[in-house]
Amino acid sequence: MDELSVVGQVVGGSFGDIVIRQKAGTDLEIGDLMVSEENGSFLILQVFALEYGSQIQDKMQQMMSGVNLEQGVVDAHFYEPDFVNYVLARIKPLARVFRKDNEVKIPKSLPSFFNKLRLITKNDLEFLQKEKDSIFVGYIRSGSKVIKEAEVWLPAEDVFSHHMLIPATTGRGKSNLVKTILWHVLDTNKVGALVLDAHDEYFGRTGIGLKDHPKAKDNLMYYTPSNPPVGANRLTVNLQSIRPEHFEGIVDFSDPQFQAIRMAHRQSRSNWIRDLMLTDAIATGMESTTQSRGEFAAATMMVVQRKLRLLLSLEKDEEGVVFSRHEVFDSTTKGLTTVDDIVKDIEQGKVVILDTSRLGDEAELLVGNIIATKLLQKYKDAKASGELDRKPVATIVIEEAPRVIGVDVLTSRNDNIYSTIAKEGRKFKVGLTAITQLSSVIPKSILANMNTKIILGNEMKQEREAIIASASQDLSEDDKNIASLDKGEAIVTSIFVPFAMPIKIPLFEEIVKEKGITKDTTKTKVF
Amino acid sequence: MLFAHLSDIHLGFQKHEALQKIEQQVFEKIFDQCIERKVDFILIPGDLFHVNIPEMRVQKFAFSKFREVYDAKIPVYVVYGSHDFSPVSNSVIDLLAEVGYITKVTRVKDSEDGKIVLDFLIDEKTGVKITGLSGLKVGKDREYYEKLDSHSLEAESGFKIFLFHGGITEMKTESGMDGDHMPLSLIPRNFEYYAGGHMHKWNHQKFDDHPNVVYPGTPFAGYHKDLEDNAKGQKRGFVLVEFEDKVKSVEFVKVENTQYSVIEINAENRIAESLNKELQEKIRGIDPAQQVVIIKVQGELAKGKTADVDISAIRDELNQKGALVVIINKNQLTSKEYSITEAKGDNKEEIETNVFSENIGQLRFEYSELLGDDGIKLAKKLLHELGQPKLENEKKNEYTPRINQNALAILGLDDAS
Repeated sequence: MDELSVVGQVVGGSFGDIVIRQKAGTDLEIGDLMVSEENGSFLILQVFALEYGSQIQDKMQQMMSGVNLEQGVVDAHFYEPDFVNYVLARIKPLARVFRKDNEVKIPKSLPSFFNKLRLITKNDLEFLQKEKDSIFVGYIRSGSKVIKEAEVWLPAEDVFSHHMLIPATTGRGKSNLVKTILWHVLDTNKVGALVLDAHDEYFGRTGIGLKDHPKAKDNLMYYTPSNPPVGANRLTVNLQSIRPEHFEGIVDFSDPQFQAIRMAHRQSRSNWIRDLMLTDAIATGMESTTQSRGEFAAATMMVVQRKLRLLLSLEKDEEGVVFSRHEVFDSTTKGLTTVDDIVKDIEQGKVVILDTSRLGDEAELLVGNIIATKLLQKYKDAKASGELDRKPVATIVIEEAPRVIGVDVLTSRNDNIYSTIAKEGRKFKVGLTAITQLSSVIPKSILANMNTKIILGNEMKQEREAIIASASQDLSEDDKNIASLDKGEAIVTSIFVPFAMPIKIPLFEEIVKEKGITKDTTKTKVF
Repeated sequence: MLFAHLSDIHLGFQKHEALQKIEQQVFEKIFDQCIERKVDFILIPGDLFHVNIPEMRVQKFAFSKFREVYDAKIPVYVVYGSHDFSPVSNSVIDLLAEVGYITKVTRVKDSEDGKIVLDFLIDEKTGVKITGLSGLKVGKDREYYEKLDSHSLEAESGFKIFLFHGGITEMKTESGMDGDHMPLSLIPRNFEYYAGGHMHKWNHQKFDDHPNVVYPGTPFAGYHKDLEDNAKGQKRGFVLVEFEDKVKSVEFVKVENTQYSVIEINAENRIAESLNKELQEKIRGIDPAQQVVIIKVQGELAKGKTADVDISAIRDELNQKGALVVIINKNQLTSKEYSITEAKGDNKEEIETNVFSENIGQLRFEYSELLGDDGIKLAKKLLHELGQPKLENEKKNEYTPRINQNALAILGLDDAS
């Protein structure tokens, strides 16, 4: 090893907590990756704590400081200070890489005692090769230094079917990360995605966005309820697409209310919501107290009507036509095939963004529920007929995930489609990409099923603990590391990466600048 | 003021003489009504003919009727459709435009810098401003619309009509035909009327910035399924629109075509004998005289071959009873015993070999050369031969016997024939 590149030397510690002495003149950071050359292989190690070390006893040091401060001895200094005082770094082994075949294994031994270490370089990371159909998440980061030549690609089919969790607090680059991931999903048709975009921020209606991807025309579908930009679709879902079970786990209906809904569905079939909303509970003889012959008390019916009215923003015009104020739901003939079309697009490996910014929380989840239910069913059918292999992996990107997979939701209400997917979707190549600020309220059983986590900065200890406890690699020493992650910095922990990888996510704007669409100025022959 | 809107006439689609007559009658009836109702102009957004060069019989009656409309001083404004025009060959519709019987509304002012800038055509009598785009091929149309300079069209004042040929996603009423649709957002906003073609069912919808998007649908039939829909009660005709400075009314004018009978049989988990029996019973229950009879058999037979469902006897019987035409649809009839298992492969050759290998085991023949590896080789050879295209300048009556002969030779039956 080149002596100049040495940054430290192993001086003690134990497995998982090795102590090295920092070489004078170098400046190690928390998160720095370093390499210990061994026979035929090398160890990759990471700094997780830094502290001072000195050959002078504590009390003596304190007294010397006193002389310096109180007696104003300005030019007092240590004799050969680099030998006497130094920095000790505590490091942990992440991976052992075998030079012969670039094989990466979990380390089970210590680096040689007194071995000299150097910082990681791009050549050490050659094992990080992009495989076919993978998605880019960022560059390897050593402390705050970014190694741009070492790109981190995750196997798309595996990570999306095994669910992905993106825990992040506001302002840590969550939206930038999701856009970066989806940008690479758009490269191929190997992953279909349903994105419930509650802030209308991914498509790029007014600025840069996924619409600028060169393949956006073929692989990106954007549905929005208001003034769709040129080429986009209007998000209109016909009320006939909604079935009573779509409300399960999303909306609080009491048992009698649910029975009333099911009865309405049995009686009117596809037009049940329209008919139910047009029913005058009292005029049709629903006594307010009796509940005979399958009829429901007028009060129950009226509560159901009120809830549906609020949830779906339904109104009735003077001709008795039911319509929704935000135009997302329609009771006539619009949007009859929207759900089928979206599911078909996902099955073809496209990214479908639904602008749900004008919908209330529950209505947004309901729309997602209708589509996800159909999607899962189709994938189940494909598995039954042996055609699942030919389908792309499907993922449902949902923000504020605890709304549907939070522990309180799952205990107080029935399971909903999102929790079903989290539990059993993997078998059918359907996964969740859940984004949350509050990982601690997601049940452990679901968190453990999320086999890839891209952890962004988080200042809440309780949240960090929940993430660390469910990580695919041992992050028990990374609490401070996670707390100190800057905007755009992340740690990828996954069963599909050899070790928890510190990464820097590039700015989405830069990706677009480099790889985005160029204006077509060719002349078109028009017939 | 009044204008007519019709589309997807598909003249020349029908192959059976009786249906050809109906096709012609319906076409003539519509134009007669337009003359009678003294419409100010007629809009046809595509697929006037089924092919770019229809047979002479069709050209003759079409030109004759357009001449009448011309003499009645009713302008006909069109855009081309995916059937009636070929960008790489000649099209009869161009002749109609050349002699002045119809007027194409697509007027490109400029198509530099990647933008398509359209100009308006102004109807002399009414002052209505009309423009539009032809619908040529799925996928290519979308590119036109993406490059279309909508702003200049939207900024124009007055009563404006936009003609287009293509499906609108927001107006889809059934799944399928996905590639044929585009979102409404591609069509310029703020026109009073959007005259659509390509969708074969009558549909009128109102949207915020697109107040009247209308498809009259085909007046008779342009696909085989249209006849089935007709039989099930789909109304057919054209649209009359009354207007001043705004659209006052959009009226669908029904045009009768013929009488139908439909026989639908569910073959799911059944055997051919029972299906044949049911078919017999059902045809006894109808009077097919002067009717188009449609027989649809669908589902998966529990055993036997699909060919065991004896349709030819049924057809003969119905014809004897005076049926106008008997249309039989067995496309969705399969058999458990002889269902084809799909197989994968990296190229066409490999897929063919794998599909034959997967399925040949189902067959039970006395001739060993039809089974096993020999059978696969034979099947591939046969498939290759049957896929041969017509040679340049080869006539159909030369092509068919040539292919037949070659196929029989492959099967070793040339001497026998």
